[in-house]
Amino acid sequence: MWSRLSRFDRAVLVVFVLILIIAAIGPFVAPYPPTVADPLQRLVSPNGAHPFGTDENGIDVLSRLIAAPRTDVLIAVIATTLSVAIGAPLGVVAGYFEGADRRAMRWISEGTLRLLDVIQAFPVFILAMVLVAIHGTGPVNVVFAVAFVNFPVFLRLVRSEMLSLREHLYAEAAVALGNSELGVGFKHLLPNAWPTVLVQVSVTIGFAVLLTAGLSFVGAGVSPPTPELGAMIASGAKFMITGQWWVAMFPGLLLGLIVFTFAAMGDIVGKLMEPGQRAIPSRRLLSNARIAPAAQAEAAAPSAQDAVLSVRGLAIEASGRPPILDGVSFDLMPGEILGVVGLPGSGKSILVRAILRLLGHGLQRRAGHVFFRGKDLAELDEKTLRAIRGCEILPLLPNAKSQLNPLVRVGDLMVAHIRAHNRCSRREAHARAARMLGAIGIGDAEHWLAAYPHELSGGMAQRVCLAIALVHRPPLIIADEPTAGLDVTVQRQVLDLMIELCHQSGAAQVLATRELGIVAHYCHRVAVLDEGLIVEMGSVRDVLLAPRHAVTRRLIAAADLRAVSTAPTTNTSSKMVP
Amino acid sequence: MRTLKYIGRRLLVLVPQLFLISIVTFTLVRMLPGDPARLELGPLAPEEGVELLRHQLRLDEPLPQQYIAYLQRLLQGDFGRSWVNSSSVAQDLLVRAPATLELITAGMLIVLVIMVPIALLSASPSRGWLARATRRVSFGYGLLAGALPDFWLGLVLIFVFFSVLGWAPGPEGRLAILDLPPARVTGFYVVDALLAGNFDTFESALSHLALPAVTLAFVYGGPIFKMVRASMEAALRSDYTIYAEGLGLPRRTVLLWAMRNAAPPAVVVTGVVAGYLLGGAVLIETVFNLNGIGRYAVQSITTADYAPIQGFVLVAAVFTVMVNLIVDLLQFMIDPRVSARAS
Repeated sequence: MWSRLSRFDRAVLVVFVLILIIAAIGPFVAPYPPTVADPLQRLVSPNGAHPFGTDENGIDVLSRLIAAPRTDVLIAVIATTLSVAIGAPLGVVAGYFEGADRRAMRWISEGTLRLLDVIQAFPVFILAMVLVAIHGTGPVNVVFAVAFVNFPVFLRLVRSEMLSLREHLYAEAAVALGNSELGVGFKHLLPNAWPTVLVQVSVTIGFAVLLTAGLSFVGAGVSPPTPELGAMIASGAKFMITGQWWVAMFPGLLLGLIVFTFAAMGDIVGKLMEPGQRAIPSRRLLSNARIAPAAQAEAAAPSAQDAVLSVRGLAIEASGRPPILDGVSFDLMPGEILGVVGLPGSGKSILVRAILRLLGHGLQRRAGHVFFRGKDLAELDEKTLRAIRGCEILPLLPNAKSQLNPLVRVGDLMVAHIRAHNRCSRREAHARAARMLGAIGIGDAEHWLAAYPHELSGGMAQRVCLAIALVHRPPLIIADEPTAGLDVTVQRQVLDLMIELCHQSGAAQVLATRELGIVAHYCHRVAVLDEGLIVEMGSVRDVLLAPRHAVTRRLIAAADLRAVSTAPTTNTSSKMVP
Repeated sequence: MRTLKYIGRRLLVLVPQLFLISIVTFTLVRMLPGDPARLELGPLAPEEGVELLRHQLRLDEPLPQQYIAYLQRLLQGDFGRSWVNSSSVAQDLLVRAPATLELITAGMLIVLVIMVPIALLSASPSRGWLARATRRVSFGYGLLAGALPDFWLGLVLIFVFFSVLGWAPGPEGRLAILDLPPARVTGFYVVDALLAGNFDTFESALSHLALPAVTLAFVYGGPIFKMVRASMEAALRSDYTIYAEGLGLPRRTVLLWAMRNAAPPAVVVTGVVAGYLLGGAVLIETVFNLNGIGRYAVQSITTADYAPIQGFVLVAAVFTVMVNLIVDLLQFMIDPRVSARAS
């Protein structure tokens, strides 16, 4: 567990334990008695005997600091425990009521939540002050006030956890076995909510410490001479103005440290409870030496004449780890369609993004080149790259709906894209976008241009992306699972449309997919990717009829099992060969 | 049309909420030990006066009637009287509200003008010096924000900028002792002084406002800062931003469109914080001796003056509910998905 923590987290943990120890034994180890006044030593500035000085009563500030966390932390911990004890069961009940079949019960739950809205609308601090004022100052009343103010937090948290947990199979199974729903909530679901609750507990304790100190600061909480941080700051407040800063400064720093440590502990607890949070992606190359020489040789080779795209010895890595892609090389001729197949996680999407130079966070090119029409894309400056991307190289990415910005109208995106690469007025761009939608068979273009992405179906969104991809008649399209997330009939329509239009405009295409059926039907050549390496490459017919690599055979077997979505593998791209 | 319907529905929720608030404030005083009329008049008032008030407030009738009487008084703007100042609570609150609102507005302005841009910059993955510097700042701020108590931070600022450096005035309120407040137009001294063309007063009001506003922005801007940063980071890393980059859209457009997506959660958190502040910034007012409604409430609690507390709690709760309403409406306007779901 220790090894999973960063250095920062370890420091937090150490401070946390220190705070707990001081809270436990503080009053007994303070160098001076923390509550005995010494009029001769009033407001002594920090020196050897009193490293943090003394306060207006002549009490050593350090001693009071060591004794004080006991009060603050104890109040906060007890109050938070109390608010969990009240909030969590109510949360289970609220979650139970909300999911219930009977309408009246749902209303009760809804009503409870609106009631909580109102309770939380009240000024927390003043509410706590009033509660303390009603019952008089003193630690016990502060505990009740702080607990009352915080319990809605836990009620809401547990309720929302219940709502998501009750969807799980084991909850349904437990109910099916004849347990009452409420019982299941307490017995099976609540324990599963504890991790989330525990994170919140840590944060809330920090907040409760602040609230306790704030109450004491205005004299509505713990009152002197009990050592308490807020009261200490209050007693030092007037001396801040006159220059005796140490009286209030150190308690505040300690208070900040305590609150921060509890909040940070919440993060750490959350991190530790999330399983596999730091797991390194498992699939990795066994050794780089296996392919390195070949990759080097290929990287040095010049790109083929008149190839649209030449990839040479491309290696991509996530900083410091073994490469995700290694020694990938291929050429793509104008109008050619290259299928890139592989199991999920073989590096197809990374290859696509590497060609587009859109690797994003954490990934970088370690070796190799991507030449587009003889130009090394890696060497282009930002501006030239922007001019090529989206105009000459077009991406077509999976799950088109998530590729469209939910808050940007389809028309605005298309207009911006057209105008990014062509000088024209907004109106001209709009007209062109409408024509383009018409060209790919979308009727009522104006309606769809005014639509937001959430109004589009998956197929419609992918068609819009297709229109975007083709509007500048690019020589190269890079497609990554363009049919992912579409249902089977729509898949077929979109693919047919895409291939036909690419054919018309003479665009070359890299088509990454996991379905060999698609490759068999639409591609000229195929490259099989496995663990970041191209293990096999050749014409579709050769590769599919005489697979040499185990992964290829597996993919073929899988395709045969699911041959429903596309044509049989024997129909080798006869349709598309020019 | 859809908008109107939504606003209508949202306002409909407001009505029971306001009723609930009035019930809570009503019971709040009933929960106190002792007689409400006695509480309102204070321990020094003669018994006949208490008796008279009890009759006036219809406290001798059963509880439901008492509540109705309370509602009627509220609707007439009668919040009771403070026995300490023997003044009308409604009047007191009205006089003091601008100080609190000015503080909240100034603090939120600092958050929006200085902290939000830093949060946006620090979210960008760029390797430029500006992005790197803002990332450092935001890391450090992330550690401090939320952990430092506002009342203590205010004191430290006073110590540094008043006692040591002498750059700012001490905690003497909204103006120096000898300054006269400007003619009241908005109640915000900074604005009123400018309107009156009185630049000395303007400077004085601004310098008195600076430290409390910075304290408020630093302590309560934390959640806003973190949310803006997190949602901008998420937006920049999302599929649609990568796609927009892949289409070669201008950098400006890509960033602006990412910001659109970062806006809704940021607006929500800003609303929650702003709604909390009227009742939450009371300690800042206390530390800086600003004569706002928060300090009024704190003073009233220490003198067991319950009519002002009841009034303050009511006003603060209504303020929060109103801010939530505005946030919901903004949300409705910014995000077409919300409007789709709502109708």
